[in-house]
Amino acid sequence: MNMIEKILAKASGKKQVVPGDIVIAKIDLMVMHDLSSSLVSRVFRDELGGGTIADPSRIVFVFDHNISPATQEAAETLVDARRFAARHGIQKVFDCGSGSLHHVVLEQGLWAPGQIIIGCDSHSTIYGALGLFSTGVGNNSMVGLGFGYCRAWFRVPQTIKVLLHGVLGKGVSPRDVAQHLVGFMGEDGAVYKTLEFTGPFIEALSIEDRMLFPLMSIDLGAKTGFINPDEKTIAYARAHSSFKKFDLFQNDPDVTYENEVEFDVSKIGPLVACPPTIGNVKPVEDVAGIPINIAEVGGSTGGRLEDLRVLGKWLKGQKVHQSVRMQVVPATRGIYLEALREGLIETFILAGANVFPPGAGSNQAVNMGAMGEGEAMISTQPRNFPGRNGHPKARLYLASATTVAVSALTGQITDPRQAS
Amino acid sequence: MNAGLIFEGNCWKFGHNIPTDMITPTHLVLGGMNEMVKHVLEAANPDFPKNVQPGDIIVAGRNFGCSSGRAIAPKALKATGISVVLAEFFSRTLYRNGHEIGLPILEVPGIHAAVETGHRLRVDVERGIAENLTTGKLIEGRAPTGFLLDMLKAGGLIPLLKSGSRFFTSEQDATR
Repeated sequence: MNMIEKILAKASGKKQVVPGDIVIAKIDLMVMHDLSSSLVSRVFRDELGGGTIADPSRIVFVFDHNISPATQEAAETLVDARRFAARHGIQKVFDCGSGSLHHVVLEQGLWAPGQIIIGCDSHSTIYGALGLFSTGVGNNSMVGLGFGYCRAWFRVPQTIKVLLHGVLGKGVSPRDVAQHLVGFMGEDGAVYKTLEFTGPFIEALSIEDRMLFPLMSIDLGAKTGFINPDEKTIAYARAHSSFKKFDLFQNDPDVTYENEVEFDVSKIGPLVACPPTIGNVKPVEDVAGIPINIAEVGGSTGGRLEDLRVLGKWLKGQKVHQSVRMQVVPATRGIYLEALREGLIETFILAGANVFPPGAGSNQAVNMGAMGEGEAMISTQPRNFPGRNGHPKARLYLASATTVAVSALTGQITDPRQAS
Repeated sequence: MNAGLIFEGNCWKFGHNIPTDMITPTHLVLGGMNEMVKHVLEAANPDFPKNVQPGDIIVAGRNFGCSSGRAIAPKALKATGISVVLAEFFSRTLYRNGHEIGLPILEVPGIHAAVETGHRLRVDVERGIAENLTTGKLIEGRAPTGFLLDMLKAGGLIPLLKSGSRFFTSEQDATR
């Protein structure tokens, strides 16, 4: 069995599972942002008819989309979620400004290798970088089986091995590699499957950079993604998990795959995902010169400390282009504080950037990130469907923090290899 | 509720890789179903929310309902009154959520090329069969089994739980 199969077997009380089995697994943690906690609490009330929650200590709410509600409806969404939490004894509520859902869960140490975490958003797959099985489920699954019994049903997925080797070229980031995989394998390249990321390139990455790969697995249609845990995983868990003891599940030596793909990352250049979907990936040189109005480094796929450091390196002593609004959204309050201590926040402010409270940023136009007709944004966000951020004719380009940073300085999409 | 799982209706055909954003517009996600239902899939076909009739059938291509999980997407489809959704294959979130909310869905490889909007279709979900009554072509899909079928028959996961089904809470294999 591989890591995912071992975790599913243990959590469902079985010695062995094989792809295709349907299992009922015990869940360690259920995590929701404000939009999903609101929808889930409605399903709990209206469809289930209320009741008691089996284990409220395993539920986490993080309010990351409505960071500072500007409308009564948005404010009441949060009021509903807070009331729901109070009524049912849910104590792990991280209110506005705490940060982006999964990064808050990671920062607070609410996880450990060997566990299962479910969320109601597609990026719940991030924990696969840390030796966990995690995925997104629907609101009714969360209510009926999760809240009711601390369980979820899963079909054990087939696994595709993605082997990455080589060294990144100048101006190229791990984010470009993840986007390349979406573009190359396609948005339906791994539907229902597990993606295992492996090879010398993955092994050499920091845990923070490794997270991008399971995180973006959903954009290939996958159920989950993972990296077989190693000594880096153990060290990170010892330093950041609040669990002193945990189970480390690793692949058996004889695991088999449904398919195997291999990439030499040194052949990949900086990439930009263009409208209408994240699969519309183009080399940056093909879109260089497109004027932009907003540049954003932040959110679940771009507000990590590493991203802020990259931005700081480019903005140090510079001014953001006069036609650009530069937005910085740290992924958590802890990252915000560390960026402050490192002097990055001062660099951003001196460069003319706006620093926003930690949260989901412009992931969708809930509390920020709306554009008018014809406007364009380049960001580190994970989604770019027209209409997600204001006018259907506003355009969203997705790229690495490096490409976003250099584009903010020039006012147009810019190839980082051409920037000085 | 859906005990029969046999449907006959007119086809609305959509393309490949339709994201949930296109099924349910972002700015309406928290606005209530009455408003949402007027805009379902309008980004793909503006006529659909205006003219869809109860009992109509959606046929999509590959990876229908991809991208954001957005569990409200299958609920909005169900709220339009459509009877069943067919696709070459679904995104895993829509496949999962469809069964859980009792929206009949069926994967039928080859269906996309075999139908056009306006064709009359007959679908037997339990047997996994789709028939184009306009052309006479019959295609076999992947019939749901085990508790996926149980969920569809009960009208969803929560109705199934309320009906007293206990195997969800046991450590036993739910495939039986």
